[in-house]
Amino acid sequence: MEDQPGFPEFVQQQAGKLLEQTLQHIGLTFISLLIAVVIGVPLGILITRRKKLAGIVLGIAGVLQTIPSIALLGFMIPLLGIGAKPAIMALFLYALLPIIRNTYTGILQVDPVVIDAATGMGMSKRQLLYRVQLPLAMPVLLAGIRTATVINVGVATLAAYIAAGGLGEFIFGGIALNNTNMILAGAIPAALLAIIFDWAVARLQKLRAQKVKTALYFLPFLLVILSSFYLLPAAYGSSLVAGFTPEFMGRKDGNLGLKQVYGLHMRTVVISDMIMYKAAYEKTLDVISGSTTDGRVRAFDLQALTDDKHIFPPYYAAPIVRQETLDKYPELAPALNKLSGIINDSVMTELNYRVDHLKQDPAAVASDFLKAKGLLQVAKHGTKGTVVIGAKIFGDGYILANMYKLLVNGYTELEATTKTGLGGTKICFDALTNGQIDLYPEYSGTGLLVILQADKSVVDTLISDNQKVYDYVSREFMQRYHIKWLPPIGFNNTYALMMRRQQAADLHITSISDLKEYLLHH
Amino acid sequence: MIKLEHVNKSFHNGKPAVRDVSFEVNTGETLVLLGTSGSGKTTTLRMINRLIAPDSGQILVNGESVNTQQTEALRRNIGYVLQDNGLFPHYTVAENIGIVPTLLKWDKKRIEERTRSLMEKLRLSVADHYDEYPQQLSGGQQQRVGLARALAADPAVLLMDEPFGALDPVTRASVRKEFRSLDEIHNKTVIMVTHDVPEAFELGNRICLMDKGAIQQTGTPAELLFNPVNDFVSNFFQEQRFWLELNALRLTDIRSWLSDTVPGENHAPVLKGEDSCWDALEQLTTLSAPVNILFNDKLVRIDTSELMHAFTQYKQTVSGHGRSTRLS
Ligand SMILES: Nc1ncnc2c1ncn2[C@@H]1O[C@H](COP(=O)(O)OP(=O)(O)O)[C@@H](O)[C@H]1O
Ligand SMILES: [Mg+2]
Repeated sequence: MEDQPGFPEFVQQQAGKLLEQTLQHIGLTFISLLIAVVIGVPLGILITRRKKLAGIVLGIAGVLQTIPSIALLGFMIPLLGIGAKPAIMALFLYALLPIIRNTYTGILQVDPVVIDAATGMGMSKRQLLYRVQLPLAMPVLLAGIRTATVINVGVATLAAYIAAGGLGEFIFGGIALNNTNMILAGAIPAALLAIIFDWAVARLQKLRAQKVKTALYFLPFLLVILSSFYLLPAAYGSSLVAGFTPEFMGRKDGNLGLKQVYGLHMRTVVISDMIMYKAAYEKTLDVISGSTTDGRVRAFDLQALTDDKHIFPPYYAAPIVRQETLDKYPELAPALNKLSGIINDSVMTELNYRVDHLKQDPAAVASDFLKAKGLLQVAKHGTKGTVVIGAKIFGDGYILANMYKLLVNGYTELEATTKTGLGGTKICFDALTNGQIDLYPEYSGTGLLVILQADKSVVDTLISDNQKVYDYVSREFMQRYHIKWLPPIGFNNTYALMMRRQQAADLHITSISDLKEYLLHH
Repeated sequence: MIKLEHVNKSFHNGKPAVRDVSFEVNTGETLVLLGTSGSGKTTTLRMINRLIAPDSGQILVNGESVNTQQTEALRRNIGYVLQDNGLFPHYTVAENIGIVPTLLKWDKKRIEERTRSLMEKLRLSVADHYDEYPQQLSGGQQQRVGLARALAADPAVLLMDEPFGALDPVTRASVRKEFRSLDEIHNKTVIMVTHDVPEAFELGNRICLMDKGAIQQTGTPAELLFNPVNDFVSNFFQEQRFWLELNALRLTDIRSWLSDTVPGENHAPVLKGEDSCWDALEQLTTLSAPVNILFNDKLVRIDTSELMHAFTQYKQTVSGHGRSTRLS
C-alpha cells in the first residue's frame, strides 16, 4: 500500500471532483424526489377518495420498497440502460411509498368535524382539498418527504454502480482501493447531506401554517434548482464516453496513468464491473476498463486496445511451485510446462466465456481444451505420491487448476487433487508456503505488487517490461520462499481499455494512443 | 324561510333516523329542534344544507327546493354552527370568520370590516384575538368565533347544531345571552338543535319536539307546556315544569287575572307585558316589594301573591279545555 496523505490534503486535491459528485448526488436525490412528489401526492389524494384502490396502490408501493436497492437498480438496466435514467427511476420508486402513504394518512387524519364544517360553509371539493385537507395534512406529508429524502440520499450512493455519478464514486472507489480518505470523502458529505435535508424539512414541518404556505411556494423552485445540479456536470464532454470501475478510477495504473502518461481526457462515468461490459455492448459506453481475459470480452465482442505506452503492469500467469515438491518429483515440472506458451489472451478469454457465460463445467472445458491440443492422456492412476493444486476463488484459476490436474495425472505416476476456491492472493500464497498446497497459478504483477510489495522505486524500473518483472519475481521468490516460478502460460490478465470491435475498426483505433488522437480531433 | 314536507331518511342499517318530518320556519323566527340524543335532530338539520340527502320528501329554502339549487351556493347562503365548533385550526380567528365571504369573493377590505364588526358584536377583542389561532382561545371564545363565521356573509338562514352544548354552564349562559341580543339574527330564519330544555325555551319562538325520528309536537313553549298533544310531550317537561311554565308565560297572558292596582308615589315601570312571569317573580323576590308593570299604556302594580294567584288561575283555565286543544 502506498503512503496515504492526510484527509484534509486528499479533500483539497480532490475538491473539484468532490464538488461535482456532491452536486450530482443532490441532483439525483431531488430529481427523483420531485417526480415522486408530483406523482405520489396526487396518487395519495386519489386513494383517499377511492378506498378500494388504496390497498392495491399502497401494496404495490410497499413491495417496491422491499426490493433490495442494488437489485432494483439491476432490474432497471434492461429497461432503461445505464446512467441517470435507471438511477432516477429506482430512487423515484423508493421515494414513492413514504410520499403516497403519508399523503393518504395525512388527509385521512384531518378531523372529520373540520371537513364537515368546510363542506357546510360551501367549499367545493377542490377548495376543500387545497384550503383544508392539504394544509392540515402538510406536517404528515412533509414527514413522508423527509423520510423519502433521507432514503434517497442513502440509496443514491449506489448510483455510482450504474454510471449515474454521485458520492458513491468515492465511497466504492475507496472500498475497492482500500483508501480510507477516499471512502470518507464520499461518506461524510453523504451523511451531512442526509442530516441537512432532514433538518431542513423538519424545520418546515414546525413552521406555523401561515408560513408553510409561503414556504410551499418556494419549495417547487428549490426542488427544481437542486435537481438541476445534476445536469451541470454533464455539460462538458467528448464524443466518446468511457465507463471505468471505481477501482480503476483511483489507480495509478488506471485512470490516473491514462491522464498522466497518455494525456487521455474523455467524458468518464463510474460504473460497476458487473454491468460495464454489457453497457459497452449496448453502446451506452464506448470505452471501458476491462480485464483482458474476462469471458465477457468474447461474449460482447469487445476489442482490447494496445497499451503502447505500457501503463498497465503485466499480469502474466505462471504456475508457482514449492521447490521442495519439484525436488521430490522431478517429473512434475515437465508435465506442468506442457501448458507453457499454449494459452494466449484470446484463448483464455474464450475459455472463461464458456465457463462464465455458457455455464459449462470448468473440468469439462479444461479436458476439451487439452484434447484439442493433443495434450490429453488417460490418467495413469499412479501411486508415487500426491500433489495438491490450488486456485483462487475467481477468474482463470479454476480452469487452469483443472488442466494441471489432468496433465499431472496423465503424464506422471503422481496423483493430483485440486483445492480450488481459496479466498484470495494472501490465502493462496500462505497455503503454498505452509505446504497445504504444492502449486497454484499466479500472476507476475500480483507477485510483484501484492506478495513482494516491492518498493515504488523498484516497481518503476520494472513495470513496463514483462520480462524484467518475471525475472525479478522468479529470483526473489526463490530466495525468500523457496518457491519456483515455472515458465509463463502465455496470457496476460491485465487491465485494458476496450471498445466494441466494430466501432474500433470504423474509427481506426487499435491502441490507446490512437484513441487519444481520435479524441483530439473529434 | 324553510319548509320541510314529509321528509324521511334511513341510514344503511335500515332503521329510520327521520320519519315523515314536516315543519315551516318563517323569516325572523327561531325554531328549536328539541329531543333526546339519537332522536334525529342533527340528521334533520343536515338535510337542509344537503350534507345528508333525504330518502323522500321536499325541503325548501327561501321558497325553492334545495335540490334545484347549486349545492355550494346554497350552503354559502346558510350559516352553519357545529357543536364542536369545527374551526379551521390552520386559519387565524379572522380567516376563520372570513371564510364564507372569501368563498363569495368579497373584496379584502369588506371582509376585514365585516370581521371586525362581528367580533365586536360578539365581544371578541379584535386587538387580542384577530390574528390568533383557534387553539389559543377558550371554549367560549371558540364558539363565538364559530357563530361569527356562520353569520359573516349575512346568510338568510342559520342552522345551529347544539351550538352551546360543549360549554360549561356559566359560559353557556353568557354566550347564549349574547346570541339572543344579536340584532343580526332578527331578520333570519334560524333553526337550532338542542337537547337542553331551558335553552330551547329561552331561544325558541317555537319548539319542535322530536322522538325516535318523528315530530311529537310543534308549537310555542306555552302550547307545549299547557296543551301537550300526548303523554310523551307532557312527560318530557315534567321535571322542570313549574320553572318552565313561569318562563313560558308572559305577563300579558295572565293580564286578565291581575287587578288594576295603580301605583302610588313611585311611577317608574320595572317590567313590561312582554316579560315572563319568571322575570316578575325574580324582581319581586329581589326587591322584596311590589313592582310596576307597563301593559300597553297602563301602569299596574302587583305583589308576589297576586302574581301567583293569577298564574294558578290561568293554568286552571287552560287545562280545563287544554287537552282537547290540538295544535296542528
Ligand atoms: N351517518 C350515519 N350513519 C348511520 N346512522 C346514523 C348516521 N347519522 C345518524 N345516524 C343514526 O340516526 C339516528 C339519528 O341520529 P341524529 O340525527 O344524529 O340524532 P340527534 O342529533 O338527535 O342526536 C341515530 O340512531 C343515529 O345512530
Ligand atoms: Mg346531534
